[in-house]
Amino acid sequence: MKREIIKILSSPKLFVYCLVWLMVLVVVGTVSQRDIGLFASQQRYFSSYIFLFGPIPLPGGRIVLALMLTNLITMLFKQNLWKMKKIGVLIVHLGGIMLLVGAGLTAIFSSEGSMVIEEGSRSNTVDDYHATELAIINISEQGYDEYTVFDQPLFVNGNNLRHENLDFDITILEYMDNSTLENRIADSDIQYRGMLKNFSLKEIPRDKDDMKNRPGIIFQVSGSFTDSDGIYGLIFGQSIPAKLNIDEKRYIMSLQKKKTYLPFAIELLDFKKVMHPGTQVAKSYSSRINLIENNVPRSVLIEMNKPLRHKGYTFYQASFIEGLDNEATVLAAVHNYGRLFPYISSIIMSIGLLLHILTNLPSLLKKNKK
Amino acid sequence: MKKSFTFALAFLSIIFFDYKGLNAKDLSEKNIPIQEQGRIKPLDTYARNQALAFYGKRKIKHEEISAIDWMIDLFIHPEKGLEQKIFNIRSPDIVNALDLEWTNNFHKYSYSEIFPGIQNQLPLISNIFDKKEEDRDLFENQLVELYQNIMKYRQIASSLSCLLPMFTVYDPETAEKLHIEPGQFTSYAHIMSHRGSLFNVSQNILTKSEESWTENEREVALLLYNLQQTSLDEFAQALKIIPPAKDDTTGLWISPWELLDGREIEPHQDRIMKSMEAYLVARYDNNSGAMSDALKSYRTGLLSSPGDRVKFSILEKETWLNKANLFTLSLVFYLFGFILLGISWMVQPILLKNVAYGSLISGFMLHTYGIYLRMVIMSRPPISTLYETVIFVGFVIVLLSVVIEYLRKDGLGVFIGSVSGSMLHYVGFGYAADGDTLEMLVAVLNSNFWLATHVTTIILGYGTSLMAGLIGHLYLIEKIRVPNNSKRLKSIYDNMFGVTLIALFFTLFGTILGGIWADQSWGRFWGWDPKENGALLIVLWQLMMVHMRLSGLAKADRFALGMVLNNIVVIMAWFGVNLLSIGLHSYGFASGIAVNIVLFTVFELVTGFGTYYWARSKGKNIKASF
Repeated sequence: MKREIIKILSSPKLFVYCLVWLMVLVVVGTVSQRDIGLFASQQRYFSSYIFLFGPIPLPGGRIVLALMLTNLITMLFKQNLWKMKKIGVLIVHLGGIMLLVGAGLTAIFSSEGSMVIEEGSRSNTVDDYHATELAIINISEQGYDEYTVFDQPLFVNGNNLRHENLDFDITILEYMDNSTLENRIADSDIQYRGMLKNFSLKEIPRDKDDMKNRPGIIFQVSGSFTDSDGIYGLIFGQSIPAKLNIDEKRYIMSLQKKKTYLPFAIELLDFKKVMHPGTQVAKSYSSRINLIENNVPRSVLIEMNKPLRHKGYTFYQASFIEGLDNEATVLAAVHNYGRLFPYISSIIMSIGLLLHILTNLPSLLKKNKK
Repeated sequence: MKKSFTFALAFLSIIFFDYKGLNAKDLSEKNIPIQEQGRIKPLDTYARNQALAFYGKRKIKHEEISAIDWMIDLFIHPEKGLEQKIFNIRSPDIVNALDLEWTNNFHKYSYSEIFPGIQNQLPLISNIFDKKEEDRDLFENQLVELYQNIMKYRQIASSLSCLLPMFTVYDPETAEKLHIEPGQFTSYAHIMSHRGSLFNVSQNILTKSEESWTENEREVALLLYNLQQTSLDEFAQALKIIPPAKDDTTGLWISPWELLDGREIEPHQDRIMKSMEAYLVARYDNNSGAMSDALKSYRTGLLSSPGDRVKFSILEKETWLNKANLFTLSLVFYLFGFILLGISWMVQPILLKNVAYGSLISGFMLHTYGIYLRMVIMSRPPISTLYETVIFVGFVIVLLSVVIEYLRKDGLGVFIGSVSGSMLHYVGFGYAADGDTLEMLVAVLNSNFWLATHVTTIILGYGTSLMAGLIGHLYLIEKIRVPNNSKRLKSIYDNMFGVTLIALFFTLFGTILGGIWADQSWGRFWGWDPKENGALLIVLWQLMMVHMRLSGLAKADRFALGMVLNNIVVIMAWFGVNLLSIGLHSYGFASGIAVNIVLFTVFELVTGFGTYYWARSKGKNIKASF
C-alpha cells in the first residue's frame, strides 16, 4: 500500500499533469491581469490553495506547487535514481526541491511594503502595500501618544473589537476594499458622528491597480456612555483626521496601511534623478540616505539595482515623488527569509543540467550512433 | 568540409576588399559627432535616420544621393531644400487633406507644397494634439507625424544658416572693422562676433533721419536689416554638434544658433564654429583640399573640448557599419546558401552543398561581426532592445546550425540555418525601419551585468528552443518522406532531444537569473508579471516534454509535435506579452505585430498537427523501434 502511494506520488506522469495544470493557471492568470489587475490575479490563481471557477472549486497555484514538491521528494526514494550515470538528473531535481521550498518560505513569511521619505526628513515605518489597519491614537497625555492598532483580518462585519487601552467598544459594521465619499442628501441618522454626519461612505468596484483602491470602514463606538457613542466612518488617506473625545481623553482614529516599525530610521539627504542628455529617458535614480541606529548615522547610497541590506531588511529604489521645492523618495522595503534559496538552487540546478547535457549531448548530436 | 571554409574565406575576402580605410586619421564629414536621443552619434547616422523619417529610405533614392550629402546640401542651400521632393506621403487621405494631387507611383512632396496645406489644417492638428495618443486614429497619427516632420525639416534646413557666407560690405573702413576684405562674403556668426565695432554707426542710424544717412550708413543699415532677417532662424536648434562649456554639468551639447544667443563662446566652441563655416564654404566652392583642412581643424577643436573626449574610432565604426549593411549582406549569403542547397538536391550534390555551407558560414561571420560592432559602439552587451533580440536569436540558431552541419554533414544544418537566419533578418529589418536601432536604455535596464547574463541567457534559450522546434518540423517531414529509414529518423530525434536539453538549460537558467535580477532591483524574486510568466511557460512546456518522454507519454512523433508547438509558446513569450501592455517589462512596444503572431500560430498549428497525423498514417505499418 505504502509502496503504491509512493509509486503514484513519485510518478513522472503526475509531474506532467501538474505542469499542464500550472501552465493553464499561468496563461489564465496572465491574461486576466488585463481585466482584474496583477494583484487580484495573483491572489486568485497563484497565491491561493483553491479558487472557484463558477461553482466549481479548482486547485490554485499553491496546491499544485505543493503537489509538485511532494512528487519531487518522493522521487528521491526511488532506487534506480541513485546511480552515477544519473548524477546530473539527481542534482537537477535536488535543486528543484530547494527552489520550491524557498518559494514556500517566501510565500508564507516574507513581507513587503514601501517607505516614502521627503528630503530632509526621516522615517522608521514601512507601509504594507495592501493590508490595512485601524489605529486609535490616544493623544491626551503629555509627551507621548498611545497607539492601539487593529489589523485587517479583524474587520469582519459584526466583529467586536476591545482593548484594555480603550474605555469603549468598537463593532465593525462594514469594511470596503475600495470606497468613495458622497455628500449626504437626506437627513443624517441621529447616530452618525464625525465625517458621516455630512457624508456617506459608498463601496465602489475595485480598481485594477491595487494602489488606487481607497479602503473604507464603518464601525460603531459604544460603551463610553457619552455623546461620543455612535457610528463612525473612516476612509484611507482622508485629509482631516477623525477625532473622538471621551471625557478627558482625546483620540485620533485612522484607517491606514499596516505599519511595520523598524529597529532603525532612515533619513533622506538627497534624491537624484539623472536623464540621458537631451531626452526624457531616465538614466538612473538614487537616494543618498543616513541609516540612523542608536542615534549614530551612517551614510548610504541606494541606487537602481543597488539596494541597501540591513538586519534582514532590503531597501530598493522603487520610485520618487516630485514636489514643488522638495523631492521625496519611495523605497520598497522587503523582509524575506527565503531570499537565498533561488540563488543556491539555481546554481545547483544549472550544475546538474550541465552535467547531464555534457554526458549525453555528444551522442545525441552525432548523425549516426554506432 | 575543409572546402566549405575555403569558400567562406573567399566570399568574405571579396566583401571586405571594398571596405578598407576604416582607420583613416582624418575626420570625414560623416563622422562629425552630434548628440541626439541621449548619445553622441556620427552625423551620418543622424542624416540616415532623418532621411528615413522624411523620405522612408536611408538615402534619397530618386536623386541618387546619400543621406549625408543630402543633409549637407540642405545646410548649404536651405532655400533649394524647400523645393526638394523629400516627404513621402503614403496615404491619399493626407494628400487630399492638404489639397495636393495624389500621384500613384511617386508620392513625394516638397516642403513648399505641403506647408500651405498644413497651415490650413492647423486648427485640426491642434485638436489632435489635445487627444490622448491611444485615442487617435490612423489618419490623425499620420497628419501629426507629417506636421512634426515638416517642422523638424525646417529646423534642420536652417540650423547652419548662421555659418553661411551671406553678408558683405564694400566700404573699406567698415570691412576692416569686421575683419573682412571689402566685398568678401561672411557669415552671421562672424559679424556677430564683431558686432561691437558697428555700435557707433548703428547709433548714428538710429538717431538720424533716413534721408541724411551717408553711403556707409546706408550700407550698414541694410546689413543690419539682413542680419535681423537671418536671426529669425534662431529657432533652428536641432543640430547639437558643439560640446558643452567647461563648467557645464548637464552634459548637453549645443547647436550653433544656441551658441549665438549672447553667451560667452569658449575657444574650442569658436574653433568648431569657424571650422564648420570654412567647411561649408569649401564645399560650396567644391574645393576638396580646403574641405579636408577645415575638417582637420574641426577635429582639433573637438579634441580640445573639455569634458568627455569624443571617441573618433567609435564614430568611424558606426559610420562604417551604416555603410557596410552587414545584416543585409548576411541575409544575402543565407539566401544564396539556401538556393544552392536546393540546387544541390538536383545536381552536383557534394560541391554545391559545400559552397552552400560556405555561404552560410560567411553570412554567419558577417552576422557576428555586425553584433560585435554594435556592442563596441554602445559599449554594452549584445541584447537590450526587441530589435536586438531578433538579431541575436537569428545568430544563435545559425550558430547551432553550423555546428549541427559540421557534425552531420548532410545538409540538415544548412537548411535550418539558412531558412531561419533569413527569416529572422527579415523580421529584424521590420524593426529597423522605425529609426535608430542603437537606443539608450531606461534606468532599470541600464545595467551591463544583468543585460549580459539574464537577457543573453534567455535569448539564447529562445533561439535554441526555436531550433528544436525547427528540427521537430523536419523530423515530421522526414517521417512522411522516408518512413522506413529509422536510422535517419532516430538520428534526427536524437538531435532534437539534445537541442531541447540545451534549450531547457538556457530558458531555465535565464528565467531564474531574471528572478534574481528582479530580486536585486525590485525586491521580489517572482511577481507573476506577464513577461516572467511567458518565460516560465517555455520552461514548463519543455519540462513537460522531457517528462512526457521519460514517462512514455510521448514517443518520437509526439515529442516532435510538442517541440513544434513550443515555437508558439516561445513567440507568445517573446512578442505576445508585449501586446498585453501591462507589467514592468513592456519595453518593446509593437502594435502591428498581433496579426503576425496570429498568422504564425495558425501556421504552426496547421503544419504541426497536419504533418503529425500524416506521418502517423504513413508509419502505421512500420513498428517504431524507439
